[in-house]
Amino acid sequence: MASGCRYELKQNAYMKVVLHALKYNTTSVNGILVGREPSSSSSSMVEIVDAIPLSHSLIGLLPPLEIALMLVEEYFAGEGLSIIGYYHANERYNEFELPNIAKRIGEHISRYFPQAAVLLLDNKKLEAISEGKSREPVVQLYTKDSAKGWQKAGTDSNGLLVLKEPSANLVLWDHITSGKHHEIVDFDDHLDNISKDWLNPNLFI
Amino acid sequence: MVGFAEEGELNRLESQVDNGGGGAWEYLSLVRKLKVRRSEKVLKHGLSILNDPKSRSKLGPDEWTLYEQVAIAAMDCHKLDIAKDCVQTLSKRFPGSTRIGKLEGMWLEAKGSWAEAEKAYSRLLEDNPLDPIIHKRRVAVAKAQGNVSGAIELLNKYLEVFMADHDAWRELAEIYVSLQMYKQSAFCYEELILGQPSVPLYHIAYAEVLYTLGGLENLNTAKKYYASTIELSGGKNTRALFGICLCSTAISQLTKGRNREERESTDLQSLAATALLKEYKQKAPAKLPSLSSVLKSIKLPF
Repeated sequence: MASGCRYELKQNAYMKVVLHALKYNTTSVNGILVGREPSSSSSSMVEIVDAIPLSHSLIGLLPPLEIALMLVEEYFAGEGLSIIGYYHANERYNEFELPNIAKRIGEHISRYFPQAAVLLLDNKKLEAISEGKSREPVVQLYTKDSAKGWQKAGTDSNGLLVLKEPSANLVLWDHITSGKHHEIVDFDDHLDNISKDWLNPNLFI
Repeated sequence: MVGFAEEGELNRLESQVDNGGGGAWEYLSLVRKLKVRRSEKVLKHGLSILNDPKSRSKLGPDEWTLYEQVAIAAMDCHKLDIAKDCVQTLSKRFPGSTRIGKLEGMWLEAKGSWAEAEKAYSRLLEDNPLDPIIHKRRVAVAKAQGNVSGAIELLNKYLEVFMADHDAWRELAEIYVSLQMYKQSAFCYEELILGQPSVPLYHIAYAEVLYTLGGLENLNTAKKYYASTIELSGGKNTRALFGICLCSTAISQLTKGRNREERESTDLQSLAATALLKEYKQKAPAKLPSLSSVLKSIKLPF
């Protein structure tokens, strides 16, 4: 059911996903994707506009997830955006499987938005961007097939996941080398100290 | 687990050292005392002391502690050559030491040579069968290879002997949560609360696991533990305040249609909501409108 939908990933959303994972590089991290559903019946492009970093510890617990989903939905409704996906980064370097908890959270989001996107960080691809040659996103897209469950989207050239700005990897690498990941704030950080803003409004200024 | 004030002091020292204001040894000692993981900084500032013969000799016998600390930080940053140098220096000074044997095992782990690391630890265990650190390294080896069930088995066996090891109980609890084995995780938090009843972290983690498990009894218990967290942390725990609101709503949804014995609990939810609104007004005013709307939408219907 979800096949045929394309996902366009905006640079700031993309970079937040990676920077979040780099800040908490010893644990799994996850977050919510916010964006716009296809604008008309003729378009099948989902725009992923922003990423809200959620947790870096005890990811399987409901309360912080529920609170975050409510607050994020409430905030972004005012901007005409909705929750359209979820991202996850595994704890171990060479773990490339989408874990059950990610599938479950993805399930939950897909009940409100059937074409929900789940993005999983690919550490091998992330390592490769230091050479400055790769324009491929370092995240793997999963979409929900009603019969088969979460399916990896192919990585062929007419890929389902595209980076809106083609030079995103270069900008991302620049931020990584200047230590930008130390500044990113997630929901866990916010709950520990509410003056920290999970919207990260000044991160890329 | 580091308190707010301690973290503040640590960050202050870290800034000071980063900006050339000295105090590297104080910083490194505090990192050791608080057992925090700041490997990049430890590596940078530790090496600057070790590479300067004058600073190094000023340390006296503490020099070896620093070598150990830098070795571990280097392994964490995957600078295996630096780590190797430190370990070899230590090994020359303390030949045949078990403590350094453990570092050598960790180096093999950092390299990804799991089988060799496992062998090294087994050898060390023959002479030191009751060394908790070696046992826990074996758990780390299992976990790093993705062998979660192996890690769980080893941890459970370890805890049968070392049942007062809070760090181990916490690790096990967290592994269970990552596998969505919430009942087992709850058991671990119960052990932690029994052992250290005034640590709010365990109360709130237990509450969150119970809420995740769901069901009326668990929700009621979760609410109690959120409340005890608030008490133990002097009312400063935002998560616990949110938790009370979530529990109250979930409980009211499950007890809809029953008679009104839940009146007193609506007071608790109102108190929690009010406290949250006050806190946000003071410290995160931009988020106040969203919070208000959300709290209104989950309030108990009268």
